[in-house]
Amino acid sequence: MESTVDVYELAKYGIRFAEKKCRSFKCAEIFVGNSQYTNIELEENSIKYSEIGSDKGVSFRIYNNKGSIGFAFTNQLNKKVVENTVINAAKMMSAGTSDPYFKNLPGEYKSYPEVDNLYDKSIKTLTVEDSINFVKELVQVCSEDDLAISQSGDFTANHNKSYILNSNGIEVFGEETLFSISSNMIVKDKITGETSNGYESQIKRKLIDIDAMYTAEEALKNAKKNLNRIKIKTKKMPIVLTPKGTINLILSPIASAINAQLFQYKRSFLVDKRETKIGSEHLTVEDNALIHGAVGSSNFDGEGVPCKNKKIIDKGIFLKTGLLHNSYTAGKEGIESTGNASRRSFSSIPTIGISNLILKPGNISQEELIKDIKEGILLNSTADSPNISTGDFSGLISQGNLIIKGEIKQALNETMFGINLLELFKNIMLVSKEFKVYGSYYAPFVKIDNVQIIGANS
Amino acid sequence: MEIHDDLRLFDEAFIKQLNREAENKIEYWDIRATFTEGTTLDFTDQKSTEISSYDLTSCGIRTFVNGGWGFYVLKDIDKHKIKAGFLKSIKLSVLTESLSKNKFKIKERDPIVEDFKIDTQIKLSNVDIEEKIQLVKNHEKFASDYSKMIKNTRTIYMDGLNDSIFINSFGSIVKQKLSYLRLLNMVYSQKSGVIQRSINSIGGLGGFEISSTEKAENLSQKTAEESITLLNAKSPVGGKFTVVTDSKLAGTMIHEALGHACEADLVLSKESVLEGKIGQKIALDDINIIDNPSIGQGKQFGLPYELFGSYFIDDEGIPSQKTIIIENGILKNYLHSLETASRMQLIPNGHGRASSSSSKPQVRMGFTYIEPKDWDIDELIEDTKNGILCEDFLYGYTNPTTGNFQFKCKFSYKIENGEKKEMMRDVALSGMILEVLNRVSGIGNKKTFNYSDGICGKGGQSVRVCDGGPYIRIEDITVGGLN
Repeated sequence: MESTVDVYELAKYGIRFAEKKCRSFKCAEIFVGNSQYTNIELEENSIKYSEIGSDKGVSFRIYNNKGSIGFAFTNQLNKKVVENTVINAAKMMSAGTSDPYFKNLPGEYKSYPEVDNLYDKSIKTLTVEDSINFVKELVQVCSEDDLAISQSGDFTANHNKSYILNSNGIEVFGEETLFSISSNMIVKDKITGETSNGYESQIKRKLIDIDAMYTAEEALKNAKKNLNRIKIKTKKMPIVLTPKGTINLILSPIASAINAQLFQYKRSFLVDKRETKIGSEHLTVEDNALIHGAVGSSNFDGEGVPCKNKKIIDKGIFLKTGLLHNSYTAGKEGIESTGNASRRSFSSIPTIGISNLILKPGNISQEELIKDIKEGILLNSTADSPNISTGDFSGLISQGNLIIKGEIKQALNETMFGINLLELFKNIMLVSKEFKVYGSYYAPFVKIDNVQIIGANS
Repeated sequence: MEIHDDLRLFDEAFIKQLNREAENKIEYWDIRATFTEGTTLDFTDQKSTEISSYDLTSCGIRTFVNGGWGFYVLKDIDKHKIKAGFLKSIKLSVLTESLSKNKFKIKERDPIVEDFKIDTQIKLSNVDIEEKIQLVKNHEKFASDYSKMIKNTRTIYMDGLNDSIFINSFGSIVKQKLSYLRLLNMVYSQKSGVIQRSINSIGGLGGFEISSTEKAENLSQKTAEESITLLNAKSPVGGKFTVVTDSKLAGTMIHEALGHACEADLVLSKESVLEGKIGQKIALDDINIIDNPSIGQGKQFGLPYELFGSYFIDDEGIPSQKTIIIENGILKNYLHSLETASRMQLIPNGHGRASSSSSKPQVRMGFTYIEPKDWDIDELIEDTKNGILCEDFLYGYTNPTTGNFQFKCKFSYKIENGEKKEMMRDVALSGMILEVLNRVSGIGNKKTFNYSDGICGKGGQSVRVCDGGPYIRIEDITVGGLN
């Protein structure tokens, strides 16, 4: 895979080979992925690991005229191996079961969107020393603070290329960059000796947008906010989700629930809820792949289908068109794919994933959102996730603080809460105008009333 | 032992060459190279959604000097490329060292020159794809036909053959041939608007025989039964309860509530609440906790294969071994990698593990368990006035810095006046690491001992693990619920 031309030729050869060699051939697709990365790791607030690596490989997906699928992949890119991989995929295909729901792989598209800034050419001149400089900024924030005793973190630069070709005329090539930085700051209270941590991260398309100082400072702020933890009593009260909390409890569950595959298997709590009100008027969600320079943006999806912007929930109404499809689930419903086929690497069959999932910001500030709360909880994160088939959530607050008379107070230990997501959506009272972008999520602060909190204090 | 042809390039002459390049520049290096081939079958509702085969290669080259590590990953097993990668890795560690503040040495160990092989009765490579598919189809059909209330079934079969070589600057040369199989079954059932699911999996190191053990053959029946039973379960009421856990849940709790905080990398980076607590009493007298990933334990459980979390040597060439974590309530040992042991002036205990040759080793658990004592299951329940009996788990996690952990049980039953009563679902338990081990009020006997296997994630890497124990009873656990 030394040059683009070679890979195209190899892929085309693979398709021709499949057409010729496979009995009852219906269609086939080749995906070639090539990525390179640099990663610098920080431990104990000292630069510890520098890593350079690459991953590359080719996968072959093939269907026969009964809809049976075969899949094979390898990371040895030469003609002989491609032939073997095709033969393997065909063998897998003949052994599989027929599937009447399979229509076809996507056909040729006339045009594709032109989303800018998905690739930053500065990756070409980025040296290991440059990468280390970002991590040095993290180190500085920790060293200069009195309470900070340690920090782990990392900086990663990724350069990914993908090529997709199929026997129906799809032929696309994409190149993208992703830069990320993270900090997990450890602080220790000088008097009590209690320790806590705070985490913050950024993922960006452009190197210049990475702000190491900000990331470490936010992590430090979070860590300090998480000191002096108390246990509280069981009670119903309002909670305010920070952007991370909004991702945990609103956006990420919605991302799963609108996945057409789960939906078709009737494993989403939103089944039978299309064109009905599933939340308050403050709940408006869209999945937009066309934002310039955004992490979840793309011109085409994991099957080469053009990407677009999709309205999902409008003022609490879950729209009829609010599902995310790949070509298989779309075919099953007799509609066009929404361009949401997602593949983590060459080694995975396309599933369904979000582009940029956005909860529409409101028009009040985050301070106003908190100021009238007599007693409530600011929820920064939970590591639990709801049961998507029922919408039931019960879990632990990993990072959260009490809100008393409009002010943020002590952090919480051993505090759990439980709610059904449909009830949570209904109880969304306010959404802030400020929002944060974490990867593919655009998340504001959200106030939710009437949440059952379970404390460890009896 | 015959391993993959291409791995033969790591001959004496080549290793000599690498040592020459490393001389006077770095203090330690190791290389891991692996060939993997395998099959994945994924069926939903008796239809194949993935039938795939793969073969992949990878090679990770790690170098070290005075506190700075370099790591270079490539996908070609080729002498020239590996040599070039080795030189790049040296540059990386030298550069890292020049900028790092934290200086330390890696203590030299005796070299290990040995071949290891997982014995198999039925070689995976001798089993046709059709036979593997039939196995999955049988489980799918059994689960689907089990009841009209079953709406969805999913079965995933994964197997792999792994040929690898490990070499390092101590002179170790370890060749390994591994073979593994994992079968996972998921069932969703529905009754008057309520949807419930259950998941079970079995995994082990061995050949295709793993799939025909009693445990594996009953997999779909167990899952189907569980998902139907759960339809009648109620949501729990939250609050503080006395909890009796089964052996699987006890194992998960030990893994989450104690194991992670014992990983010495987290201790060194001050991310563990157990920092500075070696030699201190952190649990009741009765409590003994072990991590033992040694090969040869499958027999104990009547299995014709090796436990999923077992290994011969870790990914830094240190043999797997039994480590006492807690003895009679006293914290005895952390789990170590080469680095953490060197820095704490100790002998590494074989816990430097990586998810593949493309990832660098971290400190990880293997098979973590709590040792049995003397209670019968019935006694534990009869002796409990008001509480919850919790069985099996869905998932768990911990924050080793604050010590707060939580896990979700698959089923739970109310205990009222020493009697097992109605079933509950989605019960979440939470507690604090340093508190919970002092609230254990009963440890089950040998007969109650069991284990479970699974995948544990840390720092973006997944490794095979097992955990287990007897039934145990704990006072004052916080239970989360919807009501």
